[in-house]
Amino acid sequence: MTETFASPGASLRTFTGEQLIVAKHVANLHNGFAFWPRAEEGPPALGDYRWTEDLILATWLMAETGRPPQNGLEYKVGASGGGFDLLDFKFLPEDQWLPVGVEIDLSIPLNKRGEGVEIEIPIPIYGGGMSYGSVSEQVMQSRARAAQKWGTFTSTGEGGYPLSLVPYKDNIITQVATGMFGVREETIQYAPIVEFKYAQGAKPGLGGHLLGDKATTTVAAMRESVPWVSLFSPFPFHSVYSVEDHRKHVDWIRTTNPRALVSVKVSTPTDVDMVAVGSYFAGANIVHLDGSYGGTGAAPEIAKKNIAMPIEFAIPRVHKYLESENVRGQVTLMASGGVRTAYDIAKAIALGVDGCVLGTAELVAIGCTRCSNCERGRGCPFGLTTTDPLLSQLMPVDWGAERLSNLYEAYAFQLRDILRKLGLKSIRALRGRRDLLKYIG
Amino acid sequence: MRSSSAGPNLVTQESPSAYQRYHISTRLAPDLEKWPSRFKVHVRKTGLAKLLVKELIHYRGRLAPVLSRPCMYGVFSGPIGGFAPREHLCVGCLRCTTEFPDFVRVEHNAERRKLGDSYFTFNYMDAISYEASTGLIPVKGAGYRGKFGGEGWDGMWTDMSEIVRPTRDGIHGREFISTVVDIGYTPNFLLFDENDKPYGAEPHSFSIPLPILFDASPNHSAEKLAGIFALAADQIGSLAVLPFDEVLKLADFGESVAPVLLPEDGNRIHELDFNPRLIEMQGWDQPLFDALGERFPESIVALRTGFETEETLLQYFDRGVRVFHLLADLHGRSMDGRFVLDLIRTAHKRFVDAGVRQEVTLIGSGGIIAAEHVAKAVLCGLDAVALDTPLLVALQAKFNGDAMERGNSSFSFPDSLSEEWGVQRLKNLAASWRDQLLEVLGAMGLREVRRLRGEMGRAMFMRTLEAEAFADIEGYSGGSHD
Repeated sequence: MTETFASPGASLRTFTGEQLIVAKHVANLHNGFAFWPRAEEGPPALGDYRWTEDLILATWLMAETGRPPQNGLEYKVGASGGGFDLLDFKFLPEDQWLPVGVEIDLSIPLNKRGEGVEIEIPIPIYGGGMSYGSVSEQVMQSRARAAQKWGTFTSTGEGGYPLSLVPYKDNIITQVATGMFGVREETIQYAPIVEFKYAQGAKPGLGGHLLGDKATTTVAAMRESVPWVSLFSPFPFHSVYSVEDHRKHVDWIRTTNPRALVSVKVSTPTDVDMVAVGSYFAGANIVHLDGSYGGTGAAPEIAKKNIAMPIEFAIPRVHKYLESENVRGQVTLMASGGVRTAYDIAKAIALGVDGCVLGTAELVAIGCTRCSNCERGRGCPFGLTTTDPLLSQLMPVDWGAERLSNLYEAYAFQLRDILRKLGLKSIRALRGRRDLLKYIG
Repeated sequence: MRSSSAGPNLVTQESPSAYQRYHISTRLAPDLEKWPSRFKVHVRKTGLAKLLVKELIHYRGRLAPVLSRPCMYGVFSGPIGGFAPREHLCVGCLRCTTEFPDFVRVEHNAERRKLGDSYFTFNYMDAISYEASTGLIPVKGAGYRGKFGGEGWDGMWTDMSEIVRPTRDGIHGREFISTVVDIGYTPNFLLFDENDKPYGAEPHSFSIPLPILFDASPNHSAEKLAGIFALAADQIGSLAVLPFDEVLKLADFGESVAPVLLPEDGNRIHELDFNPRLIEMQGWDQPLFDALGERFPESIVALRTGFETEETLLQYFDRGVRVFHLLADLHGRSMDGRFVLDLIRTAHKRFVDAGVRQEVTLIGSGGIIAAEHVAKAVLCGLDAVALDTPLLVALQAKFNGDAMERGNSSFSFPDSLSEEWGVQRLKNLAASWRDQLLEVLGAMGLREVRRLRGEMGRAMFMRTLEAEAFADIEGYSGGSHD
């Protein structure tokens, strides 16, 4: 619980006006996040087709309790009318379910190449790249702390590596993107995994853009740029025209940090299957597909809806093609971009990936209402996607880490439940099992 | 007659120094009339009063935390704070209702959602309002919020490339992507006689710097509209397609206006005392077509007709028509109910199959109401679009009922509509949509919009992708979007 001036032994006079303001709003927000999921009706203006009111409230509840809701909130699907929302599982008859308490393995390997460092994560999820500048340092720390607790990872995004993250370096993926912001020898050497971001689903082919208002002095220092000047990550890597060029990038990372696994984050064009195979042959351990409907940062509306295919369609295409090339067993395939629930994760795995990368779901867990005002003025009014010194205090690190850890707990609980009802003892056994899915459109 | 003030971005051998990079000048042009606010903010006053008293006691009179409001956008920053919320400032972040669920309630404003009609819904209106006000590309955070896919425009995605950009000199305005399109006739190949002199049909076309024309507004009542369309088209180097009588009044914009002639106008063509770049003939009329060709040999004569005439398009081609302006209704439907996206593909394919696609220009109108529709329409086979209702919405038109039929739709406009404001709004809209087209082209790695035309390999359709992805999943039988 957040300490306020009203905490036992605290004296009002010892707090500044700013501290009192922050404490007041933090306490109110925490009360609200607990109140609304239990109310008979949610906030009338909350939610959209992809993230319905129920999904947001259910995520808040899971982040609080570590368990899926029991009060009727729909926590499995949204109302988008397609993709994951039109898929369901063909569960076995109840008398064939695995017994409650049977050990079910959710771990997945991140290096299947048979050489190099072997890394497994105990749950088939890790956190996607959200840069310092696009989110607050507090958000990054919360994510890192939750990743450390669960033995999984979170990614820096392309905004540098705040010193406050160094204690969590064994659980942090360093992202290398086209602007090279914050990419330094030591940040590559810290990382068990280095992620090349070729493209991102929310703005495929358009690079990155941090608005000038968010490029504060600390953000600019981290990115080695000029304060208050908009920063562009140009698209694409100007040194890469081919798989061979990409191979040189991989070699560069391995020279700097021979122990690092390499992940390649790509979007979902028509030839996403070719891209995935090319990434594998260039030496990638992980191919990370980022579908077009996700994204946490600001992006042109035209890109979010219209450019590149949704992740639900890209996964089977890539999975099947990697199988046909006889390399599926040597590469870890991860998916992001519209993965909202534990059921989405399980469906994505059944369609063909090994695991999923989370972004928006994590932000919702720590208070995002998906109001889409991330880029407006001082940034997120809930203190998430902002670098405003006052606003960012609205999301205390301890509270955020606990909420994220609880969300992982709830997801793990549901994934085990899904596997149990399918008669599977391992999440790895679910991969590519489209025969366990049914279409309900 | 004055020449267009914004010519195509071409360098000619005759005037290399005349090159100017194409640019549409944008300027803030806020709404003239306030639309209903996006959100309604209800504050229970007794609840707020009790809270203030409680906090005054709780914080022992320290005003900073008591007066600190849960809104960054000024909704509660009026003289009496939350007792009179300024809901026009509300952006729907819901922080206030999250913090104070007992007495603050934020909901969508039903009045706002009534804007537009059954096709041109309020979210399209919102987008155009922003684009016409600012000239900017709408940018928002938190990912996509809409339905998964759907029918029509929503059932299609455009491609991107992981490593290819049109140029390597950066994006966001620094690299050069051409949006020039040619209107007219280009032969598939040239013929030369024994003296190596070309003979036969010669190219006959002109270029406009963006694939967007302004089309005659349907059944409008505001007198100033034609002038606004013409002046805005002139300033961006495009064309305003206007009724014949309006064009007669706007001869000063000869480069930038294209008259639409009805068959009964045939005996009045002498009243047109300049050579328009484009003349549109409403429906087929052989004598009028011949007369126009004879009197205006420099002009390109287009046939303006419904998409549903696709079966006869090649017959018109045989009769000499090389530019077609194809019309769907304002909801993007043909008379037989097909959607404009499919109509475009069918028309385009008709000419491809006949081996003459390169010789004709296809312009389309109807149902194209968002920036992404332009890119998708070109991708499916149009050379250019001629906008209709989006122009009216940019001018803050209100729909008087459902606006589906061109001749039977009614709009009303702000009383204070001025030419200067209207022209700037249309320029802003054109700039925003062109910039969004550049985003799509850039993502695909295309250097010019002409290469986008009919490039179906770069289009992804929901029904195809879904069938490929889900075909072996139980219960799938062709999907929900046939």
